[in-house]
Amino acid sequence: MKNSMEKSIKEAVRIQRDDFSQDEEIRALQACSKRMGGIATFLGCARDFSEGREVSEISFDAYDRMALPEMQKLREQAITRFGLLDARIVHRLGVVNAGDNIVFIATGAEHRAPALEACRWIIDELKEWVPIWKKETTPQGESWVTPHP
Amino acid sequence: MITVLFFGPVAERVGQSRLEVAFKTGMRLQDLREQLQALYPEAFALVSLAAVNGEHEREMSVALTDTSEVVFMSKFSGG
Repeated sequence: MKNSMEKSIKEAVRIQRDDFSQDEEIRALQACSKRMGGIATFLGCARDFSEGREVSEISFDAYDRMALPEMQKLREQAITRFGLLDARIVHRLGVVNAGDNIVFIATGAEHRAPALEACRWIIDELKEWVPIWKKETTPQGESWVTPHP
Repeated sequence: MITVLFFGPVAERVGQSRLEVAFKTGMRLQDLREQLQALYPEAFALVSLAAVNGEHEREMSVALTDTSEVVFMSKFSGG
């Protein structure tokens, strides 16, 4: 029974096509320690409007061999840098519709400040160092997204 | 042969996501970039990052081998 429950807990860092459950991720984070006094989360979603155009869907391309290890490195670095008890990062690939979830980050620490700071740091670093690109589908055609702050 | 991969907007401008390039003794990352940039100038106008064997590589003088996997990448836009 214990083994099957352990297996049902998903990896802390994942890239997947399917949607994710924020509740499941937060539960998994909380399960790592009862010393956790603060949890911060970031949820990135697909907007239906960008650069003055309507967006119906977003598709992603990724260098798989590098993207997951880079996300794992970010988690490890964040845990060390901010003294977190744990952190989780999930990013979707494939095609997502406007309004759908794209990325979820959850950080847990003894107190709120390091959890909040680490969550912001992880999403900023992810955008700079993880090889994932997104393309928006609009009525005017498709276009790759240019990064911005 | 060196395997060169392209993704996202760079792949779109190159017109393919994978190339095989003949390895030459002493070849550096910069040599490979210059060779491909001459063939695909529009694609390489977007390139600002490179990776060798799955790791970010900022040093363009790094030596390549006959089995290197190289990726020339535009800025990322995940998240």
